[in-house]
Amino acid sequence: MSPAYRRAAVFIFAAALAAALALAARLSRGGAGVGEVSLTGVVLVDPIPKPDFTLLDTEGQPFPFKERTAGKLTLVFFGYTHCPDVCPVHMANLAAVLNDLPHEMREQIAVVFISADPERDTPERLRQWLDAFDKRFIGLRGSLEDVNAILAELRLAPVMHGEPDEKGNYVVGHPAQILAFTPDGLLRVMYPFGTRQTDWAQDLPRLLRFTGNGPLGLRAHTEGGES
Amino acid sequence: MKVQWWCAALGEAWEWTWRPYPGVWAFVALCILAYVLILRSTPAPAGEARHRGTRAAVFGAGVASLWLVLDWPIGALGAGYLASAHMVQFLVITLVAPPLLLYGVPTEAYHRLQPRVVAALRSLTQPLVAIVLSNLIWFITHVPLVADRLLASQVGSFVIDIAWLATGLQFWWPVVAPVPEWPWFRGMTRLAYLGAQLIASKPLFVYLTFTHYPRYATYELAPRVLGITARADQQAAGLLMEVGGMLILFVAAWILFLRSMLREEAADRAQAVSGR
Repeated sequence: MSPAYRRAAVFIFAAALAAALALAARLSRGGAGVGEVSLTGVVLVDPIPKPDFTLLDTEGQPFPFKERTAGKLTLVFFGYTHCPDVCPVHMANLAAVLNDLPHEMREQIAVVFISADPERDTPERLRQWLDAFDKRFIGLRGSLEDVNAILAELRLAPVMHGEPDEKGNYVVGHPAQILAFTPDGLLRVMYPFGTRQTDWAQDLPRLLRFTGNGPLGLRAHTEGGES
Repeated sequence: MKVQWWCAALGEAWEWTWRPYPGVWAFVALCILAYVLILRSTPAPAGEARHRGTRAAVFGAGVASLWLVLDWPIGALGAGYLASAHMVQFLVITLVAPPLLLYGVPTEAYHRLQPRVVAALRSLTQPLVAIVLSNLIWFITHVPLVADRLLASQVGSFVIDIAWLATGLQFWWPVVAPVPEWPWFRGMTRLAYLGAQLIASKPLFVYLTFTHYPRYATYELAPRVLGITARADQQAAGLLMEVGGMLILFVAAWILFLRSMLREEAADRAQAVSGR
């Protein structure tokens, strides 16, 4: 190899190394700026306070939602156990990632499933269905009026039941997003259907940082677009 | 029932209820029709009629294997529900059906090809070109961004299947060598080619298997089938690729080895007879 080629080879190698180091540094920052938290969910411009309601759990006991989930990252989903697609997929992906978290982090997260089909979702059926994902998931039931009142408080569309078919089966229209109430008691982020396990793995530890002990900016997809 | 002409991701809950896929039937019918026309236009040379029957049976097995993985249920499961079913499709379309189809076509039919087609085939089936291009296409069609986009539509799903079949034929051509006077390899060098494929498939296997989170949105967000989780499904797909692919290549290598041995024995016998 001539000296000119050798110099060129050294230069190319050095340039490639510098580019690789720059890329690695960029990736290790994860895209979050100083004082900001980058999330994949839909961030609310105006966070909504955690509603204060009481429904029955799968043991038939009253569950005062606000009181029992205080200080925890609370993930709420309105769904039904006969749901053929959205509900089981959303819950399965969330459960898979929660299962990976360190014990102390997992203990700071409550998952609450509120039935949008209280007639068919008996306490036993609801418990059995949730246990298939995670035995720690909380199942709540109430009248459809109660559930719709909670949804209205959260500025979400009410539950709608479709017409029964010849076998008596019907579909239920319900919000498809998982609502994330951060530990400071505010609904800050919503996770629509399509949220991947990688998204949960990235966001859950970040959401736990909203403890109300200081302002933290949010950088993610907002209701009105990018913020 | 929503009728699709080709299997694509539906986003609906899986049901064990048969669905028709007219495009798959048309494709299978077209393969058979083309084969019948080829046989009619290329009469068998004297004493070759028995071989024609064997070749027709082998070609039939190739078409049947394609039909099996393109139609309901494997086709539908692979297009929108299970990465492992998608992998079964991949293995059959790229590694099982192509050698059967290539072997099944009578040699005389290749002799009737236009010179331009022959020239193109000769370039595309050079071993290095064949193994690199086919593996490149196989890797690209497994990149999540590409696969998720294509599997969402019937045209996209069709493109994947046809690309796999075309590159499968390209990959196997140097090994099966349907035209004896164009062989790229002789004897045991074919085994080295198959061995190289075992190494070439490793990056894709590692990419699919050694990841914690599911790679494909199509399968991760699909309603579950038989309670198989998205992670278990993807790991099964990776293992299938490794174990299934290796098994197919070993069987092919064993057949090549046996045929080579038999040919040598026959040559030895003929030499002994002529020497007496």
